[in-house]
Amino acid sequence: MPPEGYDTRVVLDSGPAVPYGLPAMPNAEGGQSEAAAPPRKTLIVLAAFALAGVVFAGVSSYDFIAHLDRQVHAITCSIVPGIGPKDASGASGCHAVLMSPYSSVLRELTWGGIPIALPALGVFAFLLFRAIDLLWHKRLPRRETQFMIAAAALPVLTSIIYAIISATQIGTFCKVCVGIYVASLGVFVAAIVAHVRAGAAEADPSGKSSSLGLWAFYFVEGVALVALPVLLYLVLKPAYADSLLRTSGLRHPEDKYGVMLDTRGGGQVPAIEVLDPLCPACKAFSERLAASGLGERLQVKYVLFPLDKECNWMVNESLHAGSCAVSEALLCAGERANAVLSWAFANQDDLRARGGGNQSAVYARIKQAFPELAGCVGQPAVRARVNKSLRWIVANSLPVLTPQLFVRNQKVPDEDTDLGLDFVLSRVLAQSAGAEGKP
Amino acid sequence: MNADRRHMILGLVAFFSVGISVATWTRAAAVRLAETQGKAPEVATASASDMGYCTGELKVILRRVLTSCGLAAGPGSRGCQPLQARQVASMSGGDFNALFAPLSERAAIIEFDKDSADLDAAGADLLEKTFSDRRGASYFFVVSRASPEGSVEHNRDLSHRRGSAVLDHIRAKFQDPDIEQEVGLLWLGEEFAQLDQQFCQWHRSRVGGECTSAELNRSSFIAWIDCRL
Repeated sequence: MPPEGYDTRVVLDSGPAVPYGLPAMPNAEGGQSEAAAPPRKTLIVLAAFALAGVVFAGVSSYDFIAHLDRQVHAITCSIVPGIGPKDASGASGCHAVLMSPYSSVLRELTWGGIPIALPALGVFAFLLFRAIDLLWHKRLPRRETQFMIAAAALPVLTSIIYAIISATQIGTFCKVCVGIYVASLGVFVAAIVAHVRAGAAEADPSGKSSSLGLWAFYFVEGVALVALPVLLYLVLKPAYADSLLRTSGLRHPEDKYGVMLDTRGGGQVPAIEVLDPLCPACKAFSERLAASGLGERLQVKYVLFPLDKECNWMVNESLHAGSCAVSEALLCAGERANAVLSWAFANQDDLRARGGGNQSAVYARIKQAFPELAGCVGQPAVRARVNKSLRWIVANSLPVLTPQLFVRNQKVPDEDTDLGLDFVLSRVLAQSAGAEGKP
Repeated sequence: MNADRRHMILGLVAFFSVGISVATWTRAAAVRLAETQGKAPEVATASASDMGYCTGELKVILRRVLTSCGLAAGPGSRGCQPLQARQVASMSGGDFNALFAPLSERAAIIEFDKDSADLDAAGADLLEKTFSDRRGASYFFVVSRASPEGSVEHNRDLSHRRGSAVLDHIRAKFQDPDIEQEVGLLWLGEEFAQLDQQFCQWHRSRVGGECTSAELNRSSFIAWIDCRL
């Protein structure tokens, strides 16, 4: 039902009021004799920014949703979507943001969570719809532009929050996200300009209550347009089969070579993480685990698996050059291994670049940062320990990839170590706790 | 077109555009997931090295040597003496040495003083360097010899002590729990498979010195074998 005070007839842009058989919506134009003509150019600009927002949020949603098949996909990372190659290497800021814990919400409730780009798509679609609708108006009451400003403030606020998260938590920006930020700001500024140009306050015979009714109606429309993609996504997304969790454990989990790095985590649940200190996916995984809160329940021991041909015969090309030398530093560090690992994660790009040239450059960097390790790295004894770490991997017939996580000797599927981590890890923890009769 | 109808049509276009897009993307992912389930991932599995030189013939010899001369073969078979080695290899000394030809980059010759089984610093250094450069190898061979001076029995014992010195050093330095399973030990004295001058070009602990046949055979030949048996 329309809000009180609204006629159940419509007023055409040109022509008399006619009976309207359908339930009428609030008439934004009725009685607007003193409202100004719409600033069409401004509304066109507003619509263009909203359309840009639809495109960027759509691209971002598409890339996220594509990963629901648990495979690896190249993603769009261009300020002009469709132009330029997609990022297949995972090196772009867009990949870092997509795989970060901030790209979606409610991750423990559903695999991958609900991508934040999805409601953004709904919001921009709504703003586009409103802008086009206003373009057709003969008069533009200020209550219309007031609502547009309020509606456009939502993506602006969200963009500010996410820009801060990108800068402070993720440490990189995603070009598609920047597109969304710009579109948000553009819509907001255009809405303000449209409001300023809308002229004097309308003389609305139905008064303030009718404005509230109109805004409430638009608000419901907006909520519906945001809820629609989210609900469709939740209903149609693939269910996670329990059979996927029936993975094999480690054949020889014992540390007979003495190569595991004990992080002395505060958790109670024993876990083993196989990692390469210069692998970006391992760094991102570590961040996701920390951000999820579930990592606090684990007592993780690391086994080093440098994917660097300097010490690893299982790779023909070094995927992460320099990681053999950094692995030596981790083994040399003993109880300070966590500090060395944090340093290695923070300096991955630099260390990989050095490793691609000359190993001695990596050793020099390690010795500069940790002078106390100078007498240990590069020596036969620690090289043999790195080799033993690789032999532990061989003894357990693990796939040649990093990272890998085993919780109470149950493997978290490799496909679930990124977007599905929170959902799957919470289930693995619940299963293992249930199996042991723990709360 | 009246405003309400226009509003409704625009709204429906927005709803359908967003809804159909999201539904299409999500179902496509679900279909792809269904198609990939049950398929083995295309990722290599970690394994030991198996280099091109690991021919069937070499593997047969390796298996025999490790069975008969490996440290894990039992108290009665902790290494092979010259006669056993000859029987195990079932080939001439020259052919036996030729088996190791592909290992020129993976092997080293640890040289000793005459009538001595004491590892010097250069020998220990090369031994550690070679042993720590294991990569994906599964087996480590120690083949000790003696030059022909002295009696056969003395040289047999001397080469045995040289092999033991090498093993003791590895055990002390690397504390490898698998050493019993991965080392094949042969001491050949002066009786079998003496090294000839071509081995002077290999990695030796005394690179600056003379390289006569006698000096070359006062040694322990060590090598990682990159073969899976």
